[in-house]
Amino acid sequence: MKRAYFLFRKELTSIFVSPVAWIIMVLFTLVMGANLYLSMIAVSGDLKQLVAAGYGGLVSWFMLLVIPPLITMKSLADENRQGALEVLMVTGISDASVVAAKWAAAWIFYVILWCCLLPLWGILGMVGVLDTGVLFVTHMGLFVVGAAYCANGILASALTSHPLASAGLAFMFNVGLFMIHWLRFFFRPGDLELLWVEYLSAVHHIGDELTQGILDIRVFVWWGSFTLLTLFLSARVLERRRW
Amino acid sequence: MIEIENLSLSFGDRRALDDVSFHVPKGAVTGFIGENGAGKTSTFRVLTTWLLPDPETVSVRVGGIDLLKDPHAACSRVGVLPEQLALPGELRVDEYLKFRSRLKGVSGNRIHDEVVRVLNAVNAPEMIRRRLDTLSQGYRQRIGLADALLGDPPVLLLDEPTRGLDPRQITQFRELIDGLRGNHTLLLSSHVLGEVEQVCDRICVISEGQIRLEEDRETWMQRLDQLGRLHLELDCPDTGAKSQVTQWLKEQPEVSTVENEGSVWSIQADRTLRTRIGKKALDEKWIIQELRSEPATLESLFLQWTGPEKKKAQS
Repeated sequence: MKRAYFLFRKELTSIFVSPVAWIIMVLFTLVMGANLYLSMIAVSGDLKQLVAAGYGGLVSWFMLLVIPPLITMKSLADENRQGALEVLMVTGISDASVVAAKWAAAWIFYVILWCCLLPLWGILGMVGVLDTGVLFVTHMGLFVVGAAYCANGILASALTSHPLASAGLAFMFNVGLFMIHWLRFFFRPGDLELLWVEYLSAVHHIGDELTQGILDIRVFVWWGSFTLLTLFLSARVLERRRW
Repeated sequence: MIEIENLSLSFGDRRALDDVSFHVPKGAVTGFIGENGAGKTSTFRVLTTWLLPDPETVSVRVGGIDLLKDPHAACSRVGVLPEQLALPGELRVDEYLKFRSRLKGVSGNRIHDEVVRVLNAVNAPEMIRRRLDTLSQGYRQRIGLADALLGDPPVLLLDEPTRGLDPRQITQFRELIDGLRGNHTLLLSSHVLGEVEQVCDRICVISEGQIRLEEDRETWMQRLDQLGRLHLELDCPDTGAKSQVTQWLKEQPEVSTVENEGSVWSIQADRTLRTRIGKKALDEKWIIQELRSEPATLESLFLQWTGPEKKKAQS
């Protein structure tokens, strides 16, 4: 675990000493800031509806699907291609620790990205009535769904040895998870399958529950389990050189 | 220090290492030579636990620790300078080496001293605050070596350490390797056989996943002496005299082959034959235009031991 922590620290340092991370942060804040501004016009300044409009909309989903693959694409793919992974493993660190550390660093950066928007919400809270509970729960949802999407990125990065291929594959995994929501149109209200689709759908969790202030612990169980399973698979993929 | 017994490694149906056995004594610098794809890097990768050997492998011991039973402990006794050195360019030298020290289990209060020690060992203390992506190839190799030295591992594996360096850097790097002799056991993989000849106390030749030759310097130098050639040019002796010279040369016990073209003889023989040729020339009144010895190189020995005839004979 100690080694995983040291690697996590180094990964986080590597992210923040790179100008790319700061460019992503600035662009993310600008795009999401503009998105919130337009959403505010759409909901006629009603801050209670703004969370759902701002975070349940297309721009927000685009960010959710695209940002994790971009953060994770170099994690293992690039290092594997350059031989850095081999140098890392020589120190005796386990495959699982490498996967956990790389994922944690990517996820923390993802969380920091969303936290960049908090000052905007702070300003809005000063000029209007903001339901901080809804905002908090929505952010928790974004973080837990993001954890799974980052894990998809790590898995894609372990499967390929080229960052762009990794980003493309992770994007496809994320879109696949995102598309589960639309299976609901195949079922009628009351069908058991519909309940399953809703249980697995990130769009349902964020759009229909969390941004409405509904906190369902099953959301965290599902996305947490999915993240752990994907990270386990990533570690197994990394081990395949020994099979 | 490194003892390998019947090491096998397969990638699917392809056998990269086939019953490889060799040992590297403590403190020795051993040259590990072979063609591309012969199995050098695969052997290194097993020694660093990056790859697991096939189950039929009998034993791989590093510093007295069985790598098959306790890979983590065995791994901690090995420092490696890989052929493909990937350094995180965004970090400074000290940041990188401190991170590597932590991963290698150097205790917190010793980390700074350890980084300074290894940078001094590779003659690069002035690079401590430099970013890795601003270093020249020579310094990158030194930082790679400094990384391998972190934690003072008894065994060092150097995979093509002078690849991509200019002649001056190669000389400097060779001196660095020479300085490590005795304190560490070195296994050095290289295609530059002249370098191996200069630096190594032992050689181990691998070809198609099998060890072809394992010898110390004294033995291989003897071999080189035997494989050397003598060039003899006499002052236009007549045809009868020529055949007499050829006959006499063939009768000498040190001689393996004699080739004659005009008044020039090319003889594969031990260098000591030169004195007797001189004496014989005085007795027979041959006029020697030229008599020079051309010592064999490790390259010729390598070609002989990895050539098709040898492979055929071994199979």
